[in-house]
Amino acid sequence: MLVRFWGTRGSLPVATRADQVRAKLVAVLTAASGLSFADAGAADAFLDGLDDFALTGGYGGATSCVEIEAGDGAFTVCDMGSGLREFGLSALGRVAAGHPKRFHMFLSHLHWDHIMGFPFFAPAFDPAATIVIHAGHADAERALRRQQEEISFPVAFDWLRAKIEFVHMTPGEPRQVGGLTVSLIEQFHSHSSYGWRFEQDGKAVVYSTDSEHKSEAMAAEDRFSDFFGNADLVICDTMYSLGDTVSLKQDWGHSSSLVAVDLCRMAAAKRLMLFHHEPTYSDAQIQGMHRDAIAYEDLTRGDGQAVEVLCAYDGLELTV
Amino acid sequence: MDWKTETRGDRLVGQPKGRVDESNWLAFSQALVASIATAQAEALTFVVDLSGVDYMSSRGLRALSTALAAAKESGVDMSLAAPGSAMRQILAISRYDKLFTVHDTLPG
Repeated sequence: MLVRFWGTRGSLPVATRADQVRAKLVAVLTAASGLSFADAGAADAFLDGLDDFALTGGYGGATSCVEIEAGDGAFTVCDMGSGLREFGLSALGRVAAGHPKRFHMFLSHLHWDHIMGFPFFAPAFDPAATIVIHAGHADAERALRRQQEEISFPVAFDWLRAKIEFVHMTPGEPRQVGGLTVSLIEQFHSHSSYGWRFEQDGKAVVYSTDSEHKSEAMAAEDRFSDFFGNADLVICDTMYSLGDTVSLKQDWGHSSSLVAVDLCRMAAAKRLMLFHHEPTYSDAQIQGMHRDAIAYEDLTRGDGQAVEVLCAYDGLELTV
Repeated sequence: MDWKTETRGDRLVGQPKGRVDESNWLAFSQALVASIATAQAEALTFVVDLSGVDYMSSRGLRALSTALAAAKESGVDMSLAAPGSAMRQILAISRYDKLFTVHDTLPG
């Protein structure tokens, strides 16, 4: 399996401003003061040596969209946030090279940031394409049609040319979809959300975003560690600090890296991907959150299994 | 995790010892609830002495914040004290050092 992250930000797309780019350039040039580089490779190696992704790269700002390349050759995509636009352009290129025009979409839920990319999804205008939208929500079609009503958008849903189908899935009833075994779990979020598990040939990837793990429901968290069980990769909503989730942002429907680490350890999952980053966070803050999560995993490991903690960014590709 | 309490002047001091994790958070939570009830009944403040805690996972932390809400509702002043290095880091990472008053040492 190959997992591609097209959108990793939560709630609202964001972009790096000119002053933020400038500050990074100034910091890198200052660090390189007095050095010279024989070629681009040497410059690249210098940037790697700084070991500061927030400075030499960045996490991006598109909202949730994750592609899982696996199964029978159809495209498999989790959520249709603003990252879907860029995925669509990439897919057009791959289709031109012979990739089947079949798309399986899996929606965590129907909130704006998770569906806003669909009106900009170029393959939806291809009459030879088939798009199957899988959701735990019975009202998924209504949500997608509504965002393209005239009051909100100039291109109506019915103007799309692809064959678009909706499939309602139910927790506890796994299905074979595109060569993958797919199951889902209901999560705590406004209007509910669903986590997805994809399995093939003994490998498993879990996508669990917009999921609050509430203090009063801790005794029932085993159902999540069971769902994550032995996964090779768990992509988790880690939008807020734990302190925020139990105070100011309680009931906002999101979770923390600490709870994600604990659930992954209980599940004996191999890798955790921090995901759905807070839109107000700078690259440096996201990097700090990542380092904190790694430290927490180390401090609380005890005699348990280590969990590798990774942090998603737009453009990341990970082989599972 | 072991738990004991003792009264020192106008304070009830709760003293967990060992790890607080997925295996014992419920006992920890119950001990906190019982201590808050005692503190309320005896008009004491409540301090959780963290000096004996090796580490605390998210369930233990959430048990603490649930207890803090209960303490506020009961009119009991609840605080944390004497975290070791690991617990100090965990309180900072979780931002619980913003939710709680954390004393460097156990108040005399």
